[in-house]
Amino acid sequence: MIIHSHSLIAFLKQCRENGLGGFSQVIIPRLSLKNSTDSFFSSQFPPETYHLDGYRPVDPLRLLFYFPREQVFPAAANSGKRLIVGVKACDLKALLLLDKALMGPDFVDPNYRYWRENSIIVSSDCTAIAPTCHCTLVGGQPFATRGFDLNLTRIGDEYLLSTGSPVGEELLNLIRSQAELRSPTEEDRKRIQNQQNQMIERLQEQNRPYERTINAARLREAPLEKWLRDAKPCIGCGGCTNICPTCYCLILNDESKGTDFVKVRSTDSCQWHGYARVAGGASPRPKMVERFRNRYLCKFDYMPSNFDELGCTGCGRCTEVCAAEIDFREVLRAALSQTQADSVNN
Amino acid sequence: MSAANPYAIIPATIYEIIEESPTIRTLRLRPQTAIPFRTGQFIELSVPNVGEGPFTPSSSHFISEVMDVTIMKAGFVTDYVHRLKIGDTVGLRGPYGKSYPIEKFEGRDILIMGGGVGMAPTRSLFLTLLDELDKYRSITFLAGARTPGDMIYKYQIEEWRQIEKVNFIRAVDRVPDGQVWNEHVCLITKLLNQIHIDPHDNPVIVCGPPVMMKFGTFDLLKYGYAPKDIYLSMEKKMYCGFGQCRHCVIGPYYACKDGPVFTYEMIQNEENIWE
Repeated sequence: MIIHSHSLIAFLKQCRENGLGGFSQVIIPRLSLKNSTDSFFSSQFPPETYHLDGYRPVDPLRLLFYFPREQVFPAAANSGKRLIVGVKACDLKALLLLDKALMGPDFVDPNYRYWRENSIIVSSDCTAIAPTCHCTLVGGQPFATRGFDLNLTRIGDEYLLSTGSPVGEELLNLIRSQAELRSPTEEDRKRIQNQQNQMIERLQEQNRPYERTINAARLREAPLEKWLRDAKPCIGCGGCTNICPTCYCLILNDESKGTDFVKVRSTDSCQWHGYARVAGGASPRPKMVERFRNRYLCKFDYMPSNFDELGCTGCGRCTEVCAAEIDFREVLRAALSQTQADSVNN
Repeated sequence: MSAANPYAIIPATIYEIIEESPTIRTLRLRPQTAIPFRTGQFIELSVPNVGEGPFTPSSSHFISEVMDVTIMKAGFVTDYVHRLKIGDTVGLRGPYGKSYPIEKFEGRDILIMGGGVGMAPTRSLFLTLLDELDKYRSITFLAGARTPGDMIYKYQIEEWRQIEKVNFIRAVDRVPDGQVWNEHVCLITKLLNQIHIDPHDNPVIVCGPPVMMKFGTFDLLKYGYAPKDIYLSMEKKMYCGFGQCRHCVIGPYYACKDGPVFTYEMIQNEENIWE
C-alpha cells in the first residue's frame, strides 16, 4: 500500500506524542545539523527533524540492541515495546549476524533477546549514499529484502509500505486506521525498480576502484608487511570497532554490592592493546599491525566461519569515523591484491 | 543453558585454603548449588566487586558438591584471590568448554605433563582417572616447577606414588640455597628421557606456562607422539566463557567453547598460539 509522506509523519507523531500503538519509545533518525545530511537515531526530537530517507544514520543500529554499557546479571533490560523507524539495509543485515552470535544454540544474551523481542523495525530504502557507503562490495544492496517488520520505499511525496512479518501486518492495519492508503500501480512499481537500479549503479560507480573478489584464504595468507603500510597511521583508538554494526566483543565488569553479585557488560575493542592480554602479560597480538589485521580477518574469515555471514555489511562507518583517515575499502583491496606491485599501482 | 541467564552467578563459600607455595593457593569451595563439571572444563570465578577470571578446577569431576581451585597470583583479580579468607564468598559460573576426552584414553598408557600452576587442571584429570583406574593401562605424571618451594600438591605425592600403575616423576629447574630436593633438577621436558612409553596411539596431556607448552610440544613430536595425540590446555583470556566476547579466539576457534583443550593437530597452523 502507498501512503503520503505527510500522513506517515502525522502517524509517527501520534505514536510518539499521544501513545498511539502503545509504544514506550519511537526512535527515528534525525538530522544532526540543519545543512547536514548526517542523521542520528533519536527518540527525543519533534517530527520536523525526522529523517526517514537518505543514507544510514551515523550511529549503528546495534547500539539500540546491545548497549555500550548494560547490566546483564541480574538482567536489567526493561522498557516496553519500541518502534524503530528508518533503519537501513546494512544495519538490518548486521542484526542477522548478531542474532546468530547473541541468540545462538549455546547461549542467549538476556538483554539482547529482550530488545529484539520488544522492538518493531520499520526499514527504509536508501535514497542517497554516503561517500564511504559500499554495501554492494560485500554482497549487499541499498534496500532491505528481509529482516524488517515494515519497509518504506520513497516514491515522490509518497511511501510504498511493504510488510515483512505478522507484526508488520498489524502495524500496517494501525496505519490504515489513521490514514488513507492507495494501492500501488504498475507505474509505481516501474519507478521503484528504476530508483533501486539507479542507487545500485551509483554505489557500484563509487566503489569501482575497490572491486575485488573477497577471498578469506587470500586475506589470511597476505603477509604482514602488506598490512604494515595501511596500519602505519592507525592510532589504535578503537573507533572503528565501536561504531561497527556487527562488532560485539565485550568485557564483563563485576559491580557486586557485598555478596549480591552484579555483572555489567561493556563493549571492548580488539584494537586495544589490553584486549587479549592475559594475567602475566602475554598477548597474542602485541603489535598494532597484528591487531589492525585482526579486524579484517575477523570480518571476512572468522565471523563467516562462525556464523556463515560476512562481518562487514558495507556501511562504511569505520572509514567515516577513522581519525587517521584509513579507508577500509582501500585496505581490503590492497590485502586482496595478488602482488605487491598490484597493491601499490592498481 | 539457552533459557537461563548465562551470566548468572552461583555464590560459593571458601571452607578451606591450602597455601601451596608463596604465589599459589588452593581454595576449597562449597557452592550454594552443586556445579557438575567434566575434567578439563573451566569455571569463571568472581571476587565480588573486583572481577572474574577463568580457572580449571583441580579436583576430580566425580565430586561436585565441593570444588578445589588452585590459583596463582599473577594479576589484578588473582591478587585479590590471595587476600580472601576462610568463610568469604566468591561467585562461580560455568562449567564451560570441552573436557579432556577421557573415554579416548581408556586402555592406554597416559602421559601427563604439568608445569607450575599448570599442575592444577592436570591434577583434576589425574584424580578423575584415579577414580576409575582399572580402565587405563598406566598413568605417568611428569611434574615441574621452578624451585622446590614452587612445587604444588607436595603433601599428596607420597600417597600417589603408592598407587599401582602410576609413575610420578618430578623435576625443578633449580634448587636455591636453603631448600632441599632429592629428585630431578632439570627442565620438565628433559624428563622425557626418563620414561619408556610407546608414543604410538597413546595420549599426552600438557598444561603449563607458554614456554613449556611450546618446547614441550616440540620435544613430544621428536619423541614420536602424533599431533592428534597431544592435548594442550590453551588458557587464553576467556572473559565470558561461552563464545560471546571473542577475546580468546584462536583463528576460527574459541578457546572457551572449542577448547580450552585442543589437540596440537587442530591448532598447529594458527598464528601465535604459544603467546
